[in-house]
Amino acid sequence: MEKRYWKGVEELRNDAEFVRLKNNEFFEEIPVDEVLGKKAESKDATPRRDFLKFLGFGVAAASMAACEAPVRKTIPYLISPENLVPGIPNYYASTFFDGHDYASIVVKTREGRPIKVDGNELSPLTKGGANARVQASVLDLYDSERIKGPIAKGKAASWDTVNKEIKDKLASANTKQAKIRIVSSTIISPTTKKAIESFTTKYPTAKLVTYDAMSQYGIIKAHQLAFGKAALPNYSFDKADVIVSFGADFLNNWIAPIEYSRQYAQTRKLDDGKKTMSKHIQFEAALSLTGSNADNRYKLKASQTGNALLSLYNAVASKAGAATVSAGKTDADAAINSTANDLWNAKGKSLVVCGSNNANDQLIVAAINNMLGNYGATISIARHSNVRQGNDEAMAELLREMNAGEVGVVIFYNANPLYNYPDSTAFTSALNKVEVKISLSDRNDETAVKCDYICPDSHYLESWNDAEPVRNMFSLVQPTIQKLFDTKQSQELFLLWSEAAVTDYHEFLMQNWRQGFLATATGMASIPAWEKVLQEGVWNGEVTESEPAFVGNVNDAASAIAARKSGGLDIVVYEKAGIGNGRHANNPWLQELPDPVSKICWDNYFAIAPSMAKEKGLVQGNIIEVKSGNVTLKGPVLLQPGQAKDTIAVAAGYGRTNSGKAGNKVGMNAYPLLTFSEGTFNFTNSGASLNKTVEADYTLATTQSHHTMMGRAIVKETTLEEYIKDPKAGNEEEKFHSYKGKVSAKELDLWATKDHPGFDRPINAWGMSIDLNACIGCGACVVACTAENNVPVVGKEEIQRSREMHWIRIDRYYTSDMDKEKAHEQGIGKLSMYGYMEEPAENPEVVFQPVMCQHCNHAPCETVCPVAATTHSEDGLNMMAYNRCVGTRYCANNCPYKVRRFNWFKYSDNPQFDYNMNNDYGKMVLNPDVIVRSRGVMEKCSMCVQRIQYGKLEAKKAGHPVKDGAINTACAQTCPTNAITFGDYNDKSSRLVKQSSSERMYHLLEELNVQPSINYLTKVRNTTSKTNNSHKA
Amino acid sequence: MHQKLTNNLLVKCKGLFFMLLILGISLGVKAQDGKALFDANCKSCHAMNDVVIGPALKNVHKKFSAEWLHKWIKNSQALVKAGDKDAVAVFNEFNKMVMPNQNLSDAEIDAVLAYIGKESEQAPVAAAPTSPAPGTVTPEKDNSTLYWVIAIFLILLALAATLNKIKKGLEYAVREKEGIPHPPHLEPKEARSLWISKNKKLIAVVLLLLVVFGSVKGWYALKDIGVYTNYEPEQPIHFSHKLHAGDNKIACLYCHSGADKSRHANIPSASTCMNCHKYVKEGPVYGDKEIKKIYAALDWDGSKYGTNQKPIQWIRVHSLPALAYFNHAQHVTVGKIECQTCHGPVQEMDVVKQFSPLTMGWCINCHRETEVKMDGNGYYDEVHKTLAAKYGKDAKLTVDKIGGLDCARCHY
Repeated sequence: MEKRYWKGVEELRNDAEFVRLKNNEFFEEIPVDEVLGKKAESKDATPRRDFLKFLGFGVAAASMAACEAPVRKTIPYLISPENLVPGIPNYYASTFFDGHDYASIVVKTREGRPIKVDGNELSPLTKGGANARVQASVLDLYDSERIKGPIAKGKAASWDTVNKEIKDKLASANTKQAKIRIVSSTIISPTTKKAIESFTTKYPTAKLVTYDAMSQYGIIKAHQLAFGKAALPNYSFDKADVIVSFGADFLNNWIAPIEYSRQYAQTRKLDDGKKTMSKHIQFEAALSLTGSNADNRYKLKASQTGNALLSLYNAVASKAGAATVSAGKTDADAAINSTANDLWNAKGKSLVVCGSNNANDQLIVAAINNMLGNYGATISIARHSNVRQGNDEAMAELLREMNAGEVGVVIFYNANPLYNYPDSTAFTSALNKVEVKISLSDRNDETAVKCDYICPDSHYLESWNDAEPVRNMFSLVQPTIQKLFDTKQSQELFLLWSEAAVTDYHEFLMQNWRQGFLATATGMASIPAWEKVLQEGVWNGEVTESEPAFVGNVNDAASAIAARKSGGLDIVVYEKAGIGNGRHANNPWLQELPDPVSKICWDNYFAIAPSMAKEKGLVQGNIIEVKSGNVTLKGPVLLQPGQAKDTIAVAAGYGRTNSGKAGNKVGMNAYPLLTFSEGTFNFTNSGASLNKTVEADYTLATTQSHHTMMGRAIVKETTLEEYIKDPKAGNEEEKFHSYKGKVSAKELDLWATKDHPGFDRPINAWGMSIDLNACIGCGACVVACTAENNVPVVGKEEIQRSREMHWIRIDRYYTSDMDKEKAHEQGIGKLSMYGYMEEPAENPEVVFQPVMCQHCNHAPCETVCPVAATTHSEDGLNMMAYNRCVGTRYCANNCPYKVRRFNWFKYSDNPQFDYNMNNDYGKMVLNPDVIVRSRGVMEKCSMCVQRIQYGKLEAKKAGHPVKDGAINTACAQTCPTNAITFGDYNDKSSRLVKQSSSERMYHLLEELNVQPSINYLTKVRNTTSKTNNSHKA
Repeated sequence: MHQKLTNNLLVKCKGLFFMLLILGISLGVKAQDGKALFDANCKSCHAMNDVVIGPALKNVHKKFSAEWLHKWIKNSQALVKAGDKDAVAVFNEFNKMVMPNQNLSDAEIDAVLAYIGKESEQAPVAAAPTSPAPGTVTPEKDNSTLYWVIAIFLILLALAATLNKIKKGLEYAVREKEGIPHPPHLEPKEARSLWISKNKKLIAVVLLLLVVFGSVKGWYALKDIGVYTNYEPEQPIHFSHKLHAGDNKIACLYCHSGADKSRHANIPSASTCMNCHKYVKEGPVYGDKEIKKIYAALDWDGSKYGTNQKPIQWIRVHSLPALAYFNHAQHVTVGKIECQTCHGPVQEMDVVKQFSPLTMGWCINCHRETEVKMDGNGYYDEVHKTLAAKYGKDAKLTVDKIGGLDCARCHY
């Protein structure tokens, strides 16, 4: 019998409706008539044909409509603002300080919105330099995750209610004699301190607790012990001939990196035939940016730092005839003795610094510097630095007070301890015992979400303030935009809550300057003087105090160091160039900036030495578990050449949970690895262990996957010794076999000069020269370029596919132990030789090389473009007409420098790439003079052609030729070390021509004879040993 | 109170200063035409029948002597200070507002007074529109040739049809006469296919011509996509450039103040309009209707701006795509190009329309033909020497010779 299947119970039951529908093509009714707006009775018509007709007419109508001009509105100002011409930028001097970095800046605004931040050249401290975080700070202003108004108990409230309630709570805490605590990161503003003073006067139980996530309390405490003055001294690297650093990353994150980079580069540059440079010796565990730049770098386990310092102390003391102390053995004892010789020879012109946050370590450092006569010469306590004032002990005391229930009100100002306090669980439980918790954070951060009130602070570009980064050196902060949201700057709140006579902070600031503490000393009483300072941004006073004398007890410190126990693996917690302490984790520009050394973005990881990885059977990307004390962290492994043995290095600032959508869940939080011992939080500790997990390997997003130069002269390098003998050392011209015999590359040319004039440009010939001796690889230029040229952020996944969009990159190369001579001597075959060459050395020398479009005058990209979208300009620029580009990518394939970037996607208005170009706030940062590229087109460095055109126009309007220095590219402008020089080759008096005529000048991949407009100056290392010149063929 | 009065006066004086500025621009007028002089110098503050800022001028030549009027127009304050009774009275009546001194010759003043005399006879008449209403201006093309061609074509066609009929009749007659049998009568369909098979070549040629014609037409139609020459949208305010820039000779840069300094020429802010329209409250065509729109936008109550301000949403006429960078200052200040070169005779347009195609070909063409204005600009001193050496002393140094055709001049 034939089986029968029913379509459903309806068929079985033979419903009337089923019978009606069963002959239809589709069982369910298709609402064609509804779509076409027909009435029910005309069901018998042929709706499909009508549908096609409608479709046809619709398409035709749409195409007709597309031919019509779209109506564009143009809405002028109703009342035009003073001093504002649309299309012309205005510049305002201001100051960046976020509790970590200080920079005096100039803010570029267009039509009333800040779009770019640059260094202020008038500042005697930062001298026009800015780092990646300063550059990226303008994007924080437009962060869509900022809180739009005050919040009380999780609900939006008005300022009046919030302020009234808070004032009531403060008053009741005051009557109950409950403690009021303001937890703040370092405040360098004297007027802010005065505002807080007015608060603490009104509420006598109130006290300010200064808390820095990565503090320098060790140095402050050591100077209290050694000189009787709790101050962070100010260092002058420019006055030092010998610089010795024990793990201090002073070019990257240590105290005042922008300032120090400028000073450091000054001693390293070999301009105008200078034949001297400072000698930089670095002892460190993890390979830092500073260590990468050292002349001699020695691996030293973090747990041996104390003993190494004691050894150096003994070596110097024996020369100075002072008493020595007992010191344990370290891995670097031989190097320490030679270092002591170098230091002693440069007495009074040397500098020893140490990155440890341990007061005993720092006391030994102070004692060494004291013996070398560096205080008063390269180090000043009288003109001390203010940029780190965090007091670790006070923070520990606060925890005790909160646990004891003594604290009634706690206010968090620019501090986020629930994220970055090492034992955040203990802090949370202590915080729960506080009745009233107030956060002044600009976002719902880890601490703010636990607070009763959030009173959002204005961004610094919306605020008034002042700053005293170094004793008696001041700068001002002025607003450059109307407040975007309903925020109030915290100083104003302190004044409001303390019911001060003046609650307008601008007024308060002016009063403080004109009548207050500065009036007598500076003549600031007059308005013109105030306005002059406001315009210039900076003002400096004299310091009359004398340097205090050394009274420290070295023996106590030595015995404390000797008492330390070590064992197991060392942990080093460090800060990266972009993310730093993690405060700006939600800034996608910083997340996408590759770490200068590891070249990894959007992540942190456990860095270990390759030899240790081999020992433990680990490869890059393995997920491991690191256990230190009772903290366990899980993350990927990175093989880091140059790292000390048995050391795990991990960056702080990642693993945020409440920073915003870009910064959340990126990497792991390393702050729990910090330990509190000898009165300070230590960035290093020992006794850790690691375990390999069975989890699948992880792909780290990197922008550079090849680490050595494979014996090629990409970065040319020599030693100071050889450079003195022959300035052309390391820059020997290579000759190539040809039918004419051995000739230089310049004599072999594919092109007739008639069509390709090379450098022969009639009017201007723009170009840049990059001094590899000055470049420290910090990455400020990368972010500056991103900000100037609307470079999109592509995110971690796209970078994993090597699709980063940065127009400028900094290549980092490690030296290899293998070279051609060695292979020849040892009889190693070619294939194996290249295999060995790919492996970086265990302690490699490191070089950095910024690479952007080289603007070749015989450009290989131009000849292969089928649509002539990339061509050469009269003034030597390799141009890119985006609208002409059809995206064949032939140009990128034919570019020997790999500087062309393809837009695989439309990165703006695309929810797949939810960064700043995808919301109305973030778009306000875009430079209106540069177009936002669309999908399917190639892009690359334009040598900031918009700035060139602007500068030329300004010169034409003024009726004089373009002055050297009047035009500058974004990368050159921000460079804290002035490594990049932009100029016109046709202007024979320009700095560019001067620098390019140096014997050190060479072009990248010179053998191709593509005649780039960008040139490089060879790197010179101040070492006596012959450099491991891997390019020697 | 006194303070307020002074302030008010100050504001008005400031306004007067601006008026003076605008008047200064038009002082080049020397014609002995009373109306032109009146329009240029007096109209912004005076009308015949109404008090604008100054008094109504109807019959003013009868009220005062010509000698007195001459003195007053040249320097009213001198008269007031001298204590002239009439002068002081007028001065006080109009809130002690100073009439600016007019730099006119006696002959010119006489011409103005004669005009006032003439107008006083005619007045009162409703202010007649001096120009056709906006939107009605359509450029008249000379189409007569086309009409002639069509007419001749039609006559010829009729002629051909008549001749064909006569020919057929004659053929029929001949066949009848000679006894030749008539061709069989064919169904129209068969006749058509017969004709087609006989005339294959003709059809092929006609089809080919049609294809060629269609392609050429289509090509030009495609080239016009996105080109909006003569785009003439209606604006939210019936602002007439003809009245302001043409009749009143207000310089372009007075309102479009960015054109000589910035990338953008700038649509003037409403506050710029108020420099004059605080005082000029009526226009010749729409009366106060359009001017009141400015007041509404600024929430102007006659003495100050209110808080309920609403921006004026003008319709953009000239619009370059975002991928092209254009800088007004480069062309106006450095290139010394007249505004009209690209924007056409704006001073004759009641409603502004797009004059030039604004296509890349149009830009490039101009860059190829226009000489760089190097004289007197220090920027070009060296450039000129270099280029003279390269192209010869007398060569025409056009924009393309200094890189004016480089992609990155406009695209970045």
